[in-house]
Amino acid sequence: MEAPQQTRDTVRIVICPNCSLTLKGAALFFGGLCFFCFTLAGLLALRGMWPILPFCGLEMLLVGWALHASLARRYRTEIITLTESDVSVESHDRANCLRTVFPRHWAQVKLRRPASSLHPSRLTIESHGRRCELGSFLTEEERCGLAIRLQRLIGRINESPSLAMGPE
Amino acid sequence: MAEPHVETIAHADHEHMPHGWRRWVFATNHKDIGTMYLIASCVMFFIGGAAAMVIRAELFEPGMQLVDPGVFNSLTTLHGLIMIFGAIMPAWVGLANWMIPLQIGAPDMALPRLNNLSFWILPFAFSLLIATFFVPGSAPAGGWTMYPPLTLQFGDSFPMLIFAIHLMGISSILGAINVIVTIMNMRAPGMTLLRMPLFVWTWLITAFLLIAVMPVLAGAVTMMLTDHFFGTSFFNAAGGGDPVMFQHIFWFFGHPEVYIMILPAFGVISEIIPTFSRKPLFGYEAMVYATASIAFLSFIVWAHHMFTVGLPVSAQLFFMFSTMLIAVPTGVKVFNWAATMWKGSLSFEPPMLFAVAFLFLFSIGGFSGLMLALVPADYQYHGTYFVVAHFHYVLVTGAAFAIMGAVYYWLPKWSGRMYDMALAKWHFWLSTIFVNVLFFPQHFLGLAGMPRRTPDYAVQFTDWNQVSSIGGFAFGLSQLLLPYIVWKCVRSGKPVEGNRAWEGAHGLEWELPSPPPFHSWTVPPSEALIARGAEH
Repeated sequence: MEAPQQTRDTVRIVICPNCSLTLKGAALFFGGLCFFCFTLAGLLALRGMWPILPFCGLEMLLVGWALHASLARRYRTEIITLTESDVSVESHDRANCLRTVFPRHWAQVKLRRPASSLHPSRLTIESHGRRCELGSFLTEEERCGLAIRLQRLIGRINESPSLAMGPE
Repeated sequence: MAEPHVETIAHADHEHMPHGWRRWVFATNHKDIGTMYLIASCVMFFIGGAAAMVIRAELFEPGMQLVDPGVFNSLTTLHGLIMIFGAIMPAWVGLANWMIPLQIGAPDMALPRLNNLSFWILPFAFSLLIATFFVPGSAPAGGWTMYPPLTLQFGDSFPMLIFAIHLMGISSILGAINVIVTIMNMRAPGMTLLRMPLFVWTWLITAFLLIAVMPVLAGAVTMMLTDHFFGTSFFNAAGGGDPVMFQHIFWFFGHPEVYIMILPAFGVISEIIPTFSRKPLFGYEAMVYATASIAFLSFIVWAHHMFTVGLPVSAQLFFMFSTMLIAVPTGVKVFNWAATMWKGSLSFEPPMLFAVAFLFLFSIGGFSGLMLALVPADYQYHGTYFVVAHFHYVLVTGAAFAIMGAVYYWLPKWSGRMYDMALAKWHFWLSTIFVNVLFFPQHFLGLAGMPRRTPDYAVQFTDWNQVSSIGGFAFGLSQLLLPYIVWKCVRSGKPVEGNRAWEGAHGLEWELPSPPPFHSWTVPPSEALIARGAEH
């Protein structure tokens, strides 16, 4: 979760899921793997064993696709923007962006804890019968922290604390 | 930190779980796929074991008794292929599927559908392989190494063998890719590389080995296929090809393949010994680096399998010394395990018994490996029963014992029930005694000059062959205890109290309930939990 960016009358919080592999790490890892495998296959091809090369190429394509598919979750981002009047939540994935806007004065932040400790809690912003879930990919501690921060920023129903106070 | 305002809800939408046959055929859950891999591996272990029983029955006396030489050679070939690709490797993939997500705090494998595909390829591959017994020309009979020109002379079984090898290779590659992507990208926040359990580390390195060498095997068998059907001459001396080149390529795949089967065993032993010594693992980082060193060295030792083909002296020296070098990181591991046990509060439940037996017996396999690494000595040992004894000590008392230890270690976690401890100890003692009765005399037979892959032998080899066969039958029979113990445990074992089945167990998997919920780690573990599990 990124630190909130705060101006005088706007607070912006960006949250994204955990990916233990960074894009740079993935590139280095994939490049290193390709270098190693193609060096081996190339040396064998030089000795006349060229049919190893296409199998190596196919395999590297598969590894590349697998990394790409797994890293796609990295593009999932939720941006919460608070102004004096509104709370907007933008949910991005690779292709789509869904924006939900709530009037800040009437919005409520709710953290629902399930009956079983094995299941995650669910953090939502709600207003006028609409609901938007946030941070389903965060750890429990991170979600609790975000809930506290949002409850302070948005306040209870019919409250609009000053944004100048900022989050703790 | 202040407490947030919290409401409690009565249910969540994470309870869904498929039932009936769909749960297994369309399985994407890592535990279900892991279970299927382990069951398939057990079935293949008994099919390969049945072939071994016929081999040992035939070798009980000199002369031909039960099967003709062609069938004997086919049984030897399929025993090797089935045990390596059907029993040992799928068992490790099954354990990886079960344990890696639990140990790194991931909800599942990174690519669950690919995981399903990689499992379901296997039954087709092995049906194809076993079906070769029923085609004209009978099953492949040139040994699991498939050396040309002998293998090129098979009948209709040849293309089936090649196709089966390709399928097994695809399955292994898909499994390896899944393991790599899962470990690289799905670790819980705070689970850094050097906090990962050794089993995860060894599997990560194993997956690299698989990715590096599987295209080499695929290329080699495809070249044989084109030699057979399309008139190429990669390995055909008459057309300018070189049959010895196949041996180079095969063992360039084959030696790392040995480490593919044994590195995860090192990981399992590194989990079991600290638990039952009630001490952290001695030299965690050294263990990681030793594993990586062994993996690296596995690429530069292949020609020690072929010292007798007429290599230049310089090449013989290089491969002899590089092979002996492997003893260094392996020694680091063995001494670290011994140091972990040193002054520990030891107890000897079945997983620990298997781990200790692994230490002693795998070391015997390692020492005979060192003997085989010496070029002048290898000229004597090559192609004899000494080699058979060596690799069975590595693969049975090494890999298979570690798999059994792993099953006894994690079965209470998987099932939520404790197995019959007395029966498991019986299984251990019967296995350990008779595996030595089975394989140790084969050292003597080999040193006396008995060749491997032969259905008949000179009468002076009779005594030790009979001892070996008796050991083989008893070892084979005692293995029937394992599925019975597992079945009994799952059906009527005493429920395990708490998350930890073993007092000294540590690691993230032991923080989950036993059995773990169908969807585990839907909430990533906290940093504190990870730190506690990573107290190496």
